[in-house]
Amino acid sequence: MLLRSASTSPVWLLVFSLLLCGCPSAPSNSDGPASGDSTSSSTGDAAGEMPEVLLESFDPPTLEELNAKVQWESLPVLDGMKRFLDFKKENPPLVSDAEALALKNTGPEQNKKIVQSLGRPPANSEEVDWDATFNRHERMDAKSTNPILGSSVAEFDVAELTTPSLFTFDWNFVPFGNDEIIKSWEVSADRLVDKVVLRDDVTWSDGKPFTAHDVAFTFQTIMNPKVPAVAVRSGTDELRWVHAYDDHTVVFFHKESLATNTWNMLFPIIPKHIYENSIKDDPSLGQSDYHIKYEQAPVTCGPYEYASRDRGKEIVLKRRDSWYMHNGQEVRRKPYFKEVRFRIIEDSNTALLALKKGEIDEAELAPDQWVSQTDDDEFYRLNTKAMGTEWSQAYVGWNLKVPFFADKRVRQAMAYAFDHEEMLNNVCFGLYEPGQGVFHPTSWMAPKPMPTPYKQDLDKAEDLLDEAGWDDSDGDGIRDHEIDGRTVKFEFELVVASGSDTGMKIAQLLKSNLDQIGIICNVKPTEFTVMQELARTHKFQAMTAGWGTGTDPATNKNLWTTKALEQNGRNYSAYSNPKVDALFEQGEREFDRAKRAEIYGEIAKILWEDQPYMWLYYRSSFFGFNKSVRGYMFSPRNPFGYNPGFLALWKPKG
Amino acid sequence: MAPSDITAELKHLKKSPGFWKETWSRFRKRKLAVTALLFVILMGLAGLFSPAIVGAKPVVCYYKGHYYFPAMGYYNPTWENPVFNRDKFRKRYPVNLKEKDPNSWAIWPLVYQDPVRRIFENEWPGRAGNPTSEDGIPSWLRKPSEETPSQLLPAINLFGTTSNGIDVFAQMVHGTRSALMIGFVSMGIAGAIGILVGALAGYFGGWVDAVLSRAIEVVMCIPTLVLILALLAIVSRPTIWHMMAVIGATGWTGIARLTRAEFLRLKQSDFVAAAQVLGVSRFRIIFRHILPNALAPVLVPITFGIASAILIESGLRFLSFGPEGPSWGSLLKEGRSNYEMWWLIVFPGLGIFSAVLAYNLIGEGLQEATDPRLRDGGRD
Repeated sequence: MLLRSASTSPVWLLVFSLLLCGCPSAPSNSDGPASGDSTSSSTGDAAGEMPEVLLESFDPPTLEELNAKVQWESLPVLDGMKRFLDFKKENPPLVSDAEALALKNTGPEQNKKIVQSLGRPPANSEEVDWDATFNRHERMDAKSTNPILGSSVAEFDVAELTTPSLFTFDWNFVPFGNDEIIKSWEVSADRLVDKVVLRDDVTWSDGKPFTAHDVAFTFQTIMNPKVPAVAVRSGTDELRWVHAYDDHTVVFFHKESLATNTWNMLFPIIPKHIYENSIKDDPSLGQSDYHIKYEQAPVTCGPYEYASRDRGKEIVLKRRDSWYMHNGQEVRRKPYFKEVRFRIIEDSNTALLALKKGEIDEAELAPDQWVSQTDDDEFYRLNTKAMGTEWSQAYVGWNLKVPFFADKRVRQAMAYAFDHEEMLNNVCFGLYEPGQGVFHPTSWMAPKPMPTPYKQDLDKAEDLLDEAGWDDSDGDGIRDHEIDGRTVKFEFELVVASGSDTGMKIAQLLKSNLDQIGIICNVKPTEFTVMQELARTHKFQAMTAGWGTGTDPATNKNLWTTKALEQNGRNYSAYSNPKVDALFEQGEREFDRAKRAEIYGEIAKILWEDQPYMWLYYRSSFFGFNKSVRGYMFSPRNPFGYNPGFLALWKPKG
Repeated sequence: MAPSDITAELKHLKKSPGFWKETWSRFRKRKLAVTALLFVILMGLAGLFSPAIVGAKPVVCYYKGHYYFPAMGYYNPTWENPVFNRDKFRKRYPVNLKEKDPNSWAIWPLVYQDPVRRIFENEWPGRAGNPTSEDGIPSWLRKPSEETPSQLLPAINLFGTTSNGIDVFAQMVHGTRSALMIGFVSMGIAGAIGILVGALAGYFGGWVDAVLSRAIEVVMCIPTLVLILALLAIVSRPTIWHMMAVIGATGWTGIARLTRAEFLRLKQSDFVAAAQVLGVSRFRIIFRHILPNALAPVLVPITFGIASAILIESGLRFLSFGPEGPSWGSLLKEGRSNYEMWWLIVFPGLGIFSAVLAYNLIGEGLQEATDPRLRDGGRD
């Protein structure tokens, strides 16, 4: 089932969602750890201004040549829903629906009961209300119904239900072939070529068959510099070529043999027969009358299709019969809802009111809403709430180019000086788990054993600072150190996104902690875009920010490698360690999951030791659900960003 | 009648009261205005002595043979003696003073609370830490907990605490400093510029007037708030003084216009003509003769200006702009996202409201006391 598009889109999603919802919890707005390296995104940006050749022509070998040349290995093509059902069989409901609905979500135990019990799939098809409508909350309107033009969470949320994708991933972010669309998936032994055979019973909503030519055509369109598919392009542009050999066979050629190649093939697909001829006249895909017509009534290929759209208010999707029925036979699972309405409500307080009134069936809650505005009977009358941990990280990043933070001991001292407990319990309402480095303890790439989180220990912090030479030599109560013959006072500036309350509170807490050991920390609230610019150009001393959940650990190379630093990537801390560089290289070229986990675990350990960031906590996602909703489960991102995600949700009869 | 009688009678005649004295006596009769004035004075005192009213640093302490005034650190961090940052003292006074020097003593502020951080358990020996979130209701409204009666004395939070446990009363009292200062300083600047420009324009007339009047109109077009926001983005570390400067540099136009009008009127009067005939210098005429007479109507917009400067400051903090430090506006902002914590809105809201109201009442009182039409038609 049609999940995300280009490999970076899962990351981009978070960027935009946090930006637009005013960031419910990360100390500052996050920015994904980004997949694809910086060079690719810079070409993507440049393409918007000046058409240039993004794709050099490629002469693919014939299928016979290819088959003769490469050794094919079969890769898994799975039924995501079946995996979900199997998982649920192993984790059956802990209590009955009625009991779970009567619970108030006041702690991890209740949360587990609610999520595991109400997250159950239907026992049989009799139980499902097949005529149900799901009112889904969306923070903003989708800018386009054309999935390759999407750039924000709204477009991808809708695309997830309406657009085919050959590959998808589960709640552990393990990618696999989507058996609803493809029959087989093979990869060459050198991992440079992927061959996919499509099923022959997939059709577009206008009845035309879905073919390999659509896939190849979409790739060409995304890489067409005149087409404004910037967000989807990043990641897709890592592919060398996509070629359709016949109606059902499509082959992906990669530039390099990397473990992340699969993610680059995850782009959404548009119908060739609609756009083939019109794209020359209007490469923007949205200006000509012809394109406007298809913008309003797009031809789609997912379990749902567009019913109507009221700009700024709602997007209505209906179940597409030709998705699960083909030639009178049920060939795929019937989607649970007759209708899915995306209700656009920008303000989170208004959304909560709508949820309380039963106008929407789900809404993401801000942490303070979770704690204090959803614990009364008024909320529990129609709703319940659930939370799940994300793999995202909130941190205070030190700029290693600044003399204060060049020394590892100083950075460790900072971590010892900070009152983590106060932050977790009071600033974050006790909702988050303490930060333990780049990877979440439950993720497959986490180091084993996980490092112990820092606890405040001012004595240790002072010892480390003294050891590093930062002592109060002139007796003015502020630590100083002689650098290049000049006595420098330990007074630094901490940049915080001005819109983030949590970030400000954490900064104030750090400031008062450091004040006790003779370090002056000036908190500077900065507008988010300005802060990003400061970070990118390394013109900051310290900053609090957060990264969203990345899909593959390899994407972290953009945050930590020397290469990323040189190429102006997102290595904001200016961290450079040849050992880490080598490990990232190694991890990208290793295909065995267990071995990769070891490599990335090692990276996490080194980073934890070096403390280029002071890791604060892992963010959680908080959701309110109407009591009629069943089947939700949290992925490391949220209840929707995986396969089956939203498609597992259902409502019982009555 | 003998001439001597006349002189005697003249001697007995009281000196006729001056303009200001007369104004003051009329102002004094307005109860509301006087109450407002007293309130402002009280607030000023509270702001001035805020570290002595509420704080976590002793006002005076005797430590290892020396006297210190650590509370001065609230005015300027460098005024807190570095001795309290050595030997793991870490600026936590109540326990450390006794521990490190049994002979030490200290005079504490009236309330032991801090405007920027939470007070922890046993920081003041035997007293509980500040509650957080919804438990932070003002301490006189808290119900004694039925569960385990704590060995500790309950925390004192007169106006409650913020969601992460910082005392609201402490922030209010310390916030008074910036609220009042921004009003006075910015209107001081505005008054100086406005009176000067208005006086020159009004007295000289002609092209000077034309140029200055156009300048006034240009400055009137600049939206203060936008300018402040732009400034805060440019300046690397904005302080309250930057805000004062901007409010002052843009808020003088009304004052200038009134001064100009007064000067236009007064320069026609006989005493000015007399002074000119006597050859008094223009400078002296402007500042010694006309200005004192023109000042009364100018004071009114200044008082109103102070009120609006306070509002601007709170507004900026509410929008999370502006320098660090406790303020009424940032409390209001906290209250916006935690609306069930009513004390975050009620107390700072009342603070802002009463400060602005007081200035407006003073302004109104001044207006009525100085304007002959109002004062003769008024009740008294």
